[in-house]
Amino acid sequence: MAKPKADLLQGTLDLLILKTLELEPMHGWGITQRIQQLSESVLQVNQGSLYPALHRLEERGWIRAFWGNSENNRHARFYELTARGRKQMAQEKEDWLRLSGAVARIVGT
Amino acid sequence: MNRLGWVIRFLFRRGRFEDELAAELHYHYERQVEQNMAGGMSRAEATRQAAILVGGTEQLKDDCRDARLGRWIETLAQDVRYGIRVLAKNPGFSLAAMLTLALGIGANTAIFSVVYGVLLRPLPYGDGERLVVLHQDAPKANVLGFRFSVKEIEDYRAQNHTLLGVAEHHTMSFLLVGKNSAERVETAVVSANFFDVLRVKPLLGRTFVAADDRPGAPAVLILSYQYWQAHQGGDPHILGKVFQMNNRPHTVIGVLPLIPQYPVESDVYMPTSQCPTRSSAEFIANRNARMMDLFGRLKPGVTLAEARADLAVIAANMQKSYPEIYLAADGYRVRANALRDDLTRRARAMFLVLLGVVGFVLLAACANVANLFLARLLKLERELAVRAALGASQARLMRQLLTQSLLLALGGGLAGVSLAPAALGVLTGFAGRFTTRAAEVRMDAPVLLFTFLMSVGTGIVFGLAPVLTTRGWLGTAFQQAGSRGTASRGRSRLRSALVVAQVAFSVILLAAAGLMIRSFVKMQQVRPGFAADQVITMRISPGMPPYTMATVRLLGKRILDRIRQAPGVESAAMATTFPFNPMGLVFGPSQNQYVVQGRPRGEEEPTMTTDVRVVTADYFETLRQPIVRGRSLTQHDCELNSPDVVVVNQMLARSRFRGEDPIGKRVSFDKGRHWAEIVGIAADTREYGLNQPAVGEIYGALKEGFVNRLLVRSSGAAEPEARMVQAAIHEIDPLVAVDQVQTVEHAEYESLASPRMMTFLMGIFAGLALLISASGIAAVMALTVSQRTREIGVRMALGARRSSVVRMVVRQGMMLTAAGIAVGSAAAALLTKLLAGLLYGTSPRDLPTFVAIPVVFLVVAAVACFVPARQATSIDPLAALRQE
Repeated sequence: MAKPKADLLQGTLDLLILKTLELEPMHGWGITQRIQQLSESVLQVNQGSLYPALHRLEERGWIRAFWGNSENNRHARFYELTARGRKQMAQEKEDWLRLSGAVARIVGT
Repeated sequence: MNRLGWVIRFLFRRGRFEDELAAELHYHYERQVEQNMAGGMSRAEATRQAAILVGGTEQLKDDCRDARLGRWIETLAQDVRYGIRVLAKNPGFSLAAMLTLALGIGANTAIFSVVYGVLLRPLPYGDGERLVVLHQDAPKANVLGFRFSVKEIEDYRAQNHTLLGVAEHHTMSFLLVGKNSAERVETAVVSANFFDVLRVKPLLGRTFVAADDRPGAPAVLILSYQYWQAHQGGDPHILGKVFQMNNRPHTVIGVLPLIPQYPVESDVYMPTSQCPTRSSAEFIANRNARMMDLFGRLKPGVTLAEARADLAVIAANMQKSYPEIYLAADGYRVRANALRDDLTRRARAMFLVLLGVVGFVLLAACANVANLFLARLLKLERELAVRAALGASQARLMRQLLTQSLLLALGGGLAGVSLAPAALGVLTGFAGRFTTRAAEVRMDAPVLLFTFLMSVGTGIVFGLAPVLTTRGWLGTAFQQAGSRGTASRGRSRLRSALVVAQVAFSVILLAAAGLMIRSFVKMQQVRPGFAADQVITMRISPGMPPYTMATVRLLGKRILDRIRQAPGVESAAMATTFPFNPMGLVFGPSQNQYVVQGRPRGEEEPTMTTDVRVVTADYFETLRQPIVRGRSLTQHDCELNSPDVVVVNQMLARSRFRGEDPIGKRVSFDKGRHWAEIVGIAADTREYGLNQPAVGEIYGALKEGFVNRLLVRSSGAAEPEARMVQAAIHEIDPLVAVDQVQTVEHAEYESLASPRMMTFLMGIFAGLALLISASGIAAVMALTVSQRTREIGVRMALGARRSSVVRMVVRQGMMLTAAGIAVGSAAAALLTKLLAGLLYGTSPRDLPTFVAIPVVFLVVAAVACFVPARQATSIDPLAALRQE
C-alpha cells in the first residue's frame, strides 16, 4: 500500500536511515555519525528528528530493535533492517533517484 | 494487527518502554559528551554542549511515544471526543437514532436472553450434552412415545452397551398429611441412580444411594429447591425432618439446587421402593404396565447414533421374545433423543420465529438510522468539505463518521439493555409454558456479549452505507464547498433504497403478525362443544389409606350428594379429568387399547387406542355436552351390580364404526375379559384446547373406586361457590386435600394462552417496525422538502397551487412505499411458510391478510408523507428564492 507522501524532509530522513542500516545493524548515535561522515558533514541529523523517526520506522515494521554491546562495549539499542524495510528502501531509493534526477535536470541547465 | 500489538504492548509494558527509551537517549548523550571532550572541551563544557544538541529530553521522549501511538490512540480519542461533540450538538437526531436502535437492540436482547437460556445454554447438569431420553413407539398403530414398564426398563438397563447409567422417573401426587389438613405434593419417583446419571449435586444433605431403593428400606425424601423455599421457608435445618406420606413416616435427606427439573417440575423426590404402585409385585411383573420415563447417559466416546443402533438391537430382541406384547401389526421401535432437544422441543419453533421477527425489527431500525445518518451527512457536507480542504485525509474523515455511528449504536445498545429486563419477565413466563428450562433465563455475560457485538455490528451496518457513498463525493465536495451541496444521484438513490428496505421489513413483520391474528381469531371462534361458563372444577384427594377402594367410593357419593343439595348448584359430577385440563394440554390424549366385540383384529391390523374418561352420572349434563343419540350415563349405571356401559363421542363413532350404529355394540379394555355396552353418542368436544382437533373418546361410568376431579355447575358467582363447595367437602372430612380450584371457562381461556401471547408479541414487534418505518418515511420526505425548498418556492411563485405541491410530495413518498410493499409482500409470501406450524385454519398465504396489510401500510405512509408535505406548502416563495 502506497502511503501518501509526507513532507520531503521526513521522507528523506527515512531513506537515509534505511540506507545506513542496509550494511549492518547500528545504534542511533552510530547512524548520526555515519550520515555525517558519508555526506561529508553536509547533512547533520538532529537527534530530535532521528529518534522519533526510528520509533516510527520500527512501528511500521521496517526496522527491528535489539539490545547489544556497542564498539566501546556498552549496552546500546541497535536497529536492523527487516525484509519489509529492505523492500521499502528499494522503493524509496528509486523514487528519490527519479525525483533528484528530475530536479537536477531542471536546475542543472 | 501489528499496530494493535504495539498498542497493547505499549499500554501494558509502558514501564519497560520508558526505561528503554531513557537508556537509549542516555547512551546517545554520553557519546556526544565523549565526542565533545575528544574535540578538546572541558568536561563541563562538553556536557553543556551535548545537552543543547540533544535538546529537551522530555520533548524528545514525547515525540518518540507519539511515533508509536500517535495515529492510533490519540486520533481515536480525538474522534470519540469529536463524535460526542457533534452528536451532542444535534440532540434531536442523536436521540431519535438512539431510541430507534434501543428498541431494536432491546427487543433482540430480550428474545436472545430467552433463546440462549432455553435453547443454547449448556444444560446445568454435569456434562448435560451426553444425556439422552428414550421413547418407545408403535408407529403402525400411530402411538408415539409411550412409557416404559419395569420389565422393559430391566431389559434396556441390562442389555445395552452404550449407556453409563439408565435412570427411570415417574410422577405421582401424594398426600402430605399434617395435623388438621392435608396437601398434595407432586412427587417424582425415581431410581436410586437418577441424580448420579444427571450429575446433580444436592444443595443440602445427600442424594439417593442403592440402599434407599431396596424393598423395605426406610422411607426417604429429597425436596426440590422451589418446594423447600416456598413451603418450608428455606429452613436450613430441614434435614432429618419427618413427613407423613402414604401412611408412613418419610425422612428428608437432601435438598436439590435450583435446576430445571426433567421432565416436569416436582415438589419432592422418592425412590421407587416407596411408591405403592411401582413397588407392587403385580406391577413389576406386568410388561404392559407402563408408567415410567427412561433416560441415560452416553458412555464416553459413544455417539448418539451408536447408542440408537445399540438400543434398536435390544428392541428387536424384545419384539422377538414377546411377539404377543410387541405386535408386528403395531410395529415397535425405541428412540433415543438428546435430553436438551427433548426438553426444549416445544419451545424451539416459537422462539426461533420470534428471534427472526426481532431480527427484522433490528434491520428496519438499521435502515431507518442509516437514513437519518445520511440526511445529517448532507447538512455536514460543507463542514466536511472544509475539513478536507484543511488537510484532513479522506480516511480520517470516514473514520470519524464511523466513530459517530458506533457511538450511536453503543448508546442505543446500552439503552436497549436497560429496556430488555422489562420484557424479560413476560417472555420467561411465556417460555415456562413449554419448558422447565425457562427458569434459567437471565441476562448474563454471553447475552451481554451478544448485545455488544450486535450493537457494534449495527453501528457498522448503518454507518457504512452513508460512509461508503461519502468516499466518492468527498473529492468533489471540495469544489462545491462554497455553494449549497446538492444531493448526488447515488445518495438519493441510496436513501430511497433504505426507505424501500424499511417498508419491506415492516411489511414482512406485519404480514406475519396479521396471519397470527387471523389464526388466533379463528381459534377463538371455535366452539368447544359444551358450555364452559358457570362450571367450577377442583381436584379432591382422599388419602389411601385411611380410605380403601370400598370406602372411597362412598366418600365420592357423599360429596356429590352433599353438593347437589347446596344452594345455587344446578348439577355436579366427578370425572378423571375435565376439558382444557392444563395437564391434559401438555400431555395430550391418553392411548388406551380396546377391542370391539364381534370384530376380531386381523393379523395386519394395528391395535386400536382411544382416550378414556371415567365419569359419574350427570357428567354430560354438568358440562352441557349434548348426547346426540342414545342416552346419557345415569345414577343407575354407577351402581356396583349394574352392567358396564359407556358413551362414545361422534369422532370415535365415525372413525371406528364407519356407517354402522355403535349403540348396542360392546367394547373391552382388557382383551375381552369384561365388556361394556355403548349406550349413547356424545357430541365432540375440544378436550385438548380450542386449537386442537377433537379426538376419539370413550366415557365410562364409574362403578368402583374414586375419580378425583369434581365439576360443579352453579348459578352463583364462581368464587363464593367454590369456597362453599370446599367447605362442604371439609365438613365431610377435613383430611381430604382440595386443590387446583378454577373455572372451566378460565381453563378454556388458558388453553389459548400461548398462541395469544405469541400473537401479542408478533403484533408488538410488527407495530414497532411500522412505527419505525413510518417515522423513516416522514423523515426522508421532510429532508426532500427542505432540499427542494428553492424548487418549491419557484413553483409556487409561478402559481402552483398548494394542493399540487402537497400532491407532488405525497406522490414521491407513496411511490417509495409502494415499492417497499411490493418487495416486502413478495418476501413475506416466501417467509410466512415458516409460520405454518403456528397457524390454525389459516394459510401462510392467506389472501385477506396479504390484501389488508398493504392497505394499512399505505394509509400510515400517506399520513407520514402528509406532514412534511404540509410543511412544503408553508414555504414562502420570496424567502426561498432569496436563500441563495
